Amino acid sequence: MKKTVHIPLGSQHISLLEPIRFKFECENEKIIGVDADVGFVHRGVELACTRSFEFKQVGYVVARVCGLCAITHSLSYTLAVEKLLGYEANDRIKYLRMLMVELDRIHSHMLCLAHTAENAGFEALFMQIMGDRELIMDVQEAISGNRVQFDYISIGGVNRDLTPELIALVHKNLSSLSEKIDALMTLFDNNWSLSLKYKGIGILTLEDAYTYNALGPLARAAGLATDVRAETSDFPYEALGYKMILESTGDIHARNFVRLREIVNSIEMCRNIIDNLPSGEIQEKAKGKPNGEAVVRVEAPRGELFYLVRGNGQNMLERVRIKTPTFSAIPAMMEVFKGSEYADAPAILASFDPCMSCTAK
Amino acid sequence: MFRSMLEAFKNLFKPVRTHLYPAEDIVLPSGYRGLIEYGIDACIFCDKCEKVCPPGAILFFQHESGEKEYRYNPWLCIYCGECVRACPKPEEALWQSETKQRPAVVEDGANEGWFAWEEACKKSREEYAAAKKAAKIQNKSEE
Repeated sequence: MKKTVHIPLGSQHISLLEPIRFKFECENEKIIGVDADVGFVHRGVELACTRSFEFKQVGYVVARVCGLCAITHSLSYTLAVEKLLGYEANDRIKYLRMLMVELDRIHSHMLCLAHTAENAGFEALFMQIMGDRELIMDVQEAISGNRVQFDYISIGGVNRDLTPELIALVHKNLSSLSEKIDALMTLFDNNWSLSLKYKGIGILTLEDAYTYNALGPLARAAGLATDVRAETSDFPYEALGYKMILESTGDIHARNFVRLREIVNSIEMCRNIIDNLPSGEIQEKAKGKPNGEAVVRVEAPRGELFYLVRGNGQNMLERVRIKTPTFSAIPAMMEVFKGSEYADAPAILASFDPCMSCTAK
Repeated sequence: MFRSMLEAFKNLFKPVRTHLYPAEDIVLPSGYRGLIEYGIDACIFCDKCEKVCPPGAILFFQHESGEKEYRYNPWLCIYCGECVRACPKPEEALWQSETKQRPAVVEDGANEGWFAWEEACKKSREEYAAAKKAAKIQNKSEE
């Protein structure tokens, strides 16, 4: 007689923000095998980038790959094209781009924390964190002029400049967020019911993180020191107070704490950026047409985002390849599920912060 | 337990964090990226805005007399402002306002109507180019 049962989770499920299907093979309540299907929201973005849009317009197309890390996508593409055009941005442009990417990281991490709390059964905390997240959304809306589709970065610079009122707003919102994050850290550390759902659950060991090529907060929670911000020199991260955040236990609690501490670090970096903003033009001319091949890696909120852009000296690109962090992390995710209880699956899944529209694009 | 009760009691007297939309208007930040507006008097019909627009929300219809007519689809527009940056006469011919577009209704013909316009604009250009070419050939043969 068969000893295992198959329980599907998704493609539509109460704990999911986006469609993904898991098929768990369970022995009683324990998960012993996982099968994942991620391609429910495929939109053909890569092909559209090479068939329907000219290279100057593609930056706005790839920003629509993901609603959360729109800035990171358009930044990666822009960097790749600027490499092909042989253009390097001045310091002010770099700082403004960094500011938006770090704000993006803060609000994306907060969404993940809220969602993890919700999936652990703490609905009120979900509301609270989502409410606090509005502080950052307001800043981004004021800087870029739109709440979700920022369209802030374009080839040769950024589209808008910071005014003194905006700088005051950023300072004000960051300091009130900073207090709230401190309170959240205490809550995540000491709350008894959250500890039951988080501590020692969904463990990814350091060896597994190496073997399955984990990345982003998932890897850093397991103690694997990998961060594109420390590995590349496109942006002056070191000078602005970047710190590698590592935890050692590799469970959901550790992943939450990596995110919380990264938010604190990002707030500090945002402050440094606006305090030391260099002067200069925000939009420069980047002339020519992309010829050759460029590879760019940028640290998105969920890990390494990889862009390959190939052009042949014409307006239309030959190839745009996007490898998103969630896609690369799927093997590690599947490994974490094995051996845990089925009832913990939603909380574990939320703690990975999977982005399906990025992955299927 | 005691602390959470206290916290819950305190929350009763905190201000509400949500907006009473639609009874109250949502306050948009200054510099909100809204509709693209067009001033026909200053336009020189260079077509730059049409070429750079990522979704193709700006089109020019070519009349037989040689005049061009500006057409804009606010529901297709992504409000990125590329057209304004490309415009040789920004603020006079093309500028970005802070008004928000209302949602489209069937009567607006945001889809079918616009597809028909796209076809018509393309056709008008081709016809105009063909007519010009024919006139040129005729001129040459007359000479």
